[in-house]
Amino acid sequence: MEYLKIENLRKTFGGVVAVDNVSFDVEQGTLLGIIGPNGSGKTTTVNLITGFLKPDSGKVLFKGRDIAGLRASKITNLGIGRTFQMVKPFYRLPAFKNLVVPLFSPRVKRMGGHYGEKDTLALDILEDIGFERDSAVPYKPASILPHGYLKRLEMARVIALQSELIVFDELYSGLTLAEVASISPMIEKLIETGKTIIMVEHRLKELFKIAHKIVVLDQGKKIAEGSPREIMKQPSVKKAYLGVEL
Amino acid sequence: MLVYGFINSVILMMIALGFSITFGISRVANFSHGGFYILGGILTWYGLIKLGLPYFLSAGLSIIIVGIIGAVMYRVVLVRLRGLELSEVIATFSLGIVILELLRGLGVFGYEFRNPVFIDGSVEIFGVGVGIQRIIIVCAGAVLLLILHVFVHHTKMGLAFRGVAQQEHTALSVGINPDQVSMLSLAMGSIMCALAAVLILPLGVISVDEGYDILIKALAVCIIGGLESTLGVLVAAFIIGYIEVLTSMYISSSLTSVIPLACMLVILLIRPSGIFGKSKEIEERV
Repeated sequence: MEYLKIENLRKTFGGVVAVDNVSFDVEQGTLLGIIGPNGSGKTTTVNLITGFLKPDSGKVLFKGRDIAGLRASKITNLGIGRTFQMVKPFYRLPAFKNLVVPLFSPRVKRMGGHYGEKDTLALDILEDIGFERDSAVPYKPASILPHGYLKRLEMARVIALQSELIVFDELYSGLTLAEVASISPMIEKLIETGKTIIMVEHRLKELFKIAHKIVVLDQGKKIAEGSPREIMKQPSVKKAYLGVEL
Repeated sequence: MLVYGFINSVILMMIALGFSITFGISRVANFSHGGFYILGGILTWYGLIKLGLPYFLSAGLSIIIVGIIGAVMYRVVLVRLRGLELSEVIATFSLGIVILELLRGLGVFGYEFRNPVFIDGSVEIFGVGVGIQRIIIVCAGAVLLLILHVFVHHTKMGLAFRGVAQQEHTALSVGINPDQVSMLSLAMGSIMCALAAVLILPLGVISVDEGYDILIKALAVCIIGGLESTLGVLVAAFIIGYIEVLTSMYISSSLTSVIPLACMLVILLIRPSGIFGKSKEIEERV
């Protein structure tokens, strides 16, 4: 049985077919990259998997169970976490309180604990992800944090949630090379600890270094699938990205 | 004057708090607020006078019933209208009118419809005689604010509430069901509304028309203070509360009912999002 199996997923908005019969599998403990030009249906696919959109047809089988169309909060509690392309922190909460919210979710409920106790745990997670613990940064409201920190906060949220399948929607966008270089090892570490990851990404060079498999979407359709090495050689991929046959 | 202005302000605050809490969390403007208020009062009256229940049991039951009605209203009606603000207002306002006019049809009118005060008597504060009921209201108002503060800032459900209020999508992504939170926020707002009714109505007669009055007052306080801001509600209640008392003392008591609306208009002109409003000013919106 596949860990995550996407079967003939389809979603239309009015007359536009955003995702058109897309199918692919993700093996447990691997990193799948989803790439494609703007408007190719990557984020829509993420939203369909994580329950933020309901598919018109098709299945999302997570450990054999069809989760397509379930409420997003339910899917989260089944163990699928996601980040947002446009960062969405709880702006008026301090950075560490942003993590206390997921720490209280039903998903991590079995850890027990009361209000206040989770603060230390949240600070630990933030420290691991590069918030200087002894500085004021973790205590500042999210609204005044720089973009790099907010991206890391998005990531910290799914770590706090203890999701087993994590979907990163353009985690690297807007980050400097140095920031990407510091985050990539963290993602590799997540894989080592047994997590499964789907990354939607435009930063191909960085993605290809850590991905096990790549799915290429173009205008809602899957046009290629394979290892990063295979994908780089595909003429159809270059055509989708550059608009010309090279 | 000082004392009565203070009491009047606390009363306004209690009336507006339920409306503000619901809106702050779920963005539902509950226009059945006035209906719930009178319903809370009349249920208490019914339990106390007609069924002969003890006062506190009757009051407690009415508060719970109104809370349940608020939750059911969300579950059955509002959940289908989420995001359609105008429809939400129409739906809640309709329910409010149905409640109020139904009560009118049932013959709720006249002097017999009044709840007794909790404890009779009065004490003297700064040389002014003040009924004990009014003192109870002020104490209850302070306790309510305190409980609310602790709830929102120091409990995990309060944290979930704030999460939903600030970023609904992210709340969903960490496993919070916003519909559940919104339903609870309506229940909470309704409970606070009924609680205010139980405390305040013994000062006068329960009348259907007051239901509409209460809604307008709650709206005025919330809009002046800035919707969703509890601090705003507090400040606005005091501004209106004192202006009302000053007006009735120095100008004419028949003008007091105009005051909240006049204040509201002035605020809308100079600062459309209210004193502590977080939404953008008009220039920024364009």
